[in-house]
Amino acid sequence: MPAKFIFTNILGVFVFNENYKLVDGLLFKDLDQFDEKEKHEKQIEEKHGSLEKPSGDDLYKILEFFKDKKYLSELRKKNIALTRVSVKDSVNNDLLIIQTIDAVEELNRTINLLTKRLREWYSLYNPEVSNKVKDHEKFVSSIVQKKKDKLLEELNIDKNDSLGAELKEKDVAAILLLASQINNHYKLRSHYEKYLQELEKETCPNLASILGVTISARLLDHSGSLKRLAEMPASTLQILGAEKALFRHLKNKRNPPPKYGMIHEHPLILNAPRKNHGRIARALADKASIAVRVDYFKGEFMGDKLRKDLEKKIKNLR
Amino acid sequence: MIAKSKIFEVYEDSNRRNIYTVNLVPGKKVYEEFIAKQNNIEYREWDPHSSKLAAAIHNRCQNIFIRKNDVVLYLGSSTGTTCSHVSDIVGKEGFVFAVDPASRVMRDLIFNLEGRKNVAPLLESANHIEKLAERVSLVDVIYQDIAQKSQLDIFLKNINVFLKKQGYAILCVKARSIDVTKKPKQIFNDIKFALEKTLTIVDQRTLEPFQKDHMLFIVKKK
Ligand SMILES: C[S@@+](CC[C@H](N)C(=O)[O-])C[C@H]1O[C@@H](n2cnc3c(N)ncnc32)[C@H](O)[C@@H]1O
Repeated sequence: MPAKFIFTNILGVFVFNENYKLVDGLLFKDLDQFDEKEKHEKQIEEKHGSLEKPSGDDLYKILEFFKDKKYLSELRKKNIALTRVSVKDSVNNDLLIIQTIDAVEELNRTINLLTKRLREWYSLYNPEVSNKVKDHEKFVSSIVQKKKDKLLEELNIDKNDSLGAELKEKDVAAILLLASQINNHYKLRSHYEKYLQELEKETCPNLASILGVTISARLLDHSGSLKRLAEMPASTLQILGAEKALFRHLKNKRNPPPKYGMIHEHPLILNAPRKNHGRIARALADKASIAVRVDYFKGEFMGDKLRKDLEKKIKNLR
Repeated sequence: MIAKSKIFEVYEDSNRRNIYTVNLVPGKKVYEEFIAKQNNIEYREWDPHSSKLAAAIHNRCQNIFIRKNDVVLYLGSSTGTTCSHVSDIVGKEGFVFAVDPASRVMRDLIFNLEGRKNVAPLLESANHIEKLAERVSLVDVIYQDIAQKSQLDIFLKNINVFLKKQGYAILCVKARSIDVTKKPKQIFNDIKFALEKTLTIVDQRTLEPFQKDHMLFIVKKK
């Protein structure tokens, strides 16, 4: 009986007659051959004349042909190989950005927690500094760099008036060890912030120029990939991060819909009068949405132009 | 004492509180499941809080229609929790195609199911029927648990192409992932109605108290 169907899967190219009996075929040696399946199909078709791709009941019968111990074990081998390669290949800059922003935010939480501890601890020894220097980073770097006497002198406080106790050298050393670790955390954070900037310059320069490095990274983190962010309507991007409020609204229309999510942290919104927040969020999301699409399709840099348009638009609001 | 339950290849305690499958790869755990040994056989506890199929069995599902030696298409395999028990049930002579498009969970699945010679991992979306057709065979059973809006459509497409006639298919539905504004009951009714158009529904189970607003349907292809 003459050959009728041609069917290709990861195992090879198979030719069946109208009774679904295998009459010819070619087994792929590796995944590269599977990648070039069109070429191999052509060769086989040249040999047999025109062949049909099976569908419906024909496809059913052919898939049934492969439901067989021998083919299943081959399908397993090839599927494992293909899946391993795909998992490897799925690693990209998006994922590096996501891990980096998560690390930055975890460092922030750690730094805050440990600095509060440090202030309590160090204040047994020299409370005036913690009382006067409210900025965490400045506080930590001051006590790492300077001794108690010097710090008090800079604050114009007589060291005999300090409320702090005189501690043994090893007790002070224990406290300062924590301070220097926190100081290293600050250095690490700023290193990662610069790295994030570099990554985004390659991956999403337009988005970063509209929203800034941190908000861009957070949006990527939240959506999972640049692709998903690019496929999103601007109105979704605008409220990304406000899912709870959105669900509340969808369940019960008496709850107002959210006006913004993570983009609310943007200085153009934070520095604007409250009544304009919603409209600025809208304009910002529109531009960000254009920017991320350009980035996803690897278009030219147009961040400056987008930002100018945006600033003009916002000026007209006031 | 662990003994056979009413369901093929599924075991239970004498007090019927816990269910088990026989570990296909003795000595290897997949998730944080408890391992019991009896007469040199290793049983893995099947936790209804981690697996919707186990939850359905706890809720008196009498037959899950997955048998020893079956070939199963598992859509939405995630890190392999339920999939590993399905692999135990079908055994050495059975087979499971484990499909998930998320590379992060696939990485874990590859590690978790290492040594299970009856599982093939596929990093692919259940929605891409043509791509799947290049990687699977006809199957005896389809199991689908993907929290996606279009899950019903995906389920029907896969049944149409990959399930043998008279074969069974299991669908886990999470109401919230279909529509947050509708009542779960309404959603389940709609799905039931749609399934009945072309298939025979053989069982339907809510998964409370293990999973909120979930329903597991078992259907038979005509
Ligand atoms: C609730 S989890 C499944 C849990 C798993 N069945 C278990 O019990 O161990 C849902 C999974 O479906 C996957 N998923 C989402 N869309 C899918 C699609 N189109 N095709 C296949 N899997 C999909 C997700 O990546 C996720 O891992």
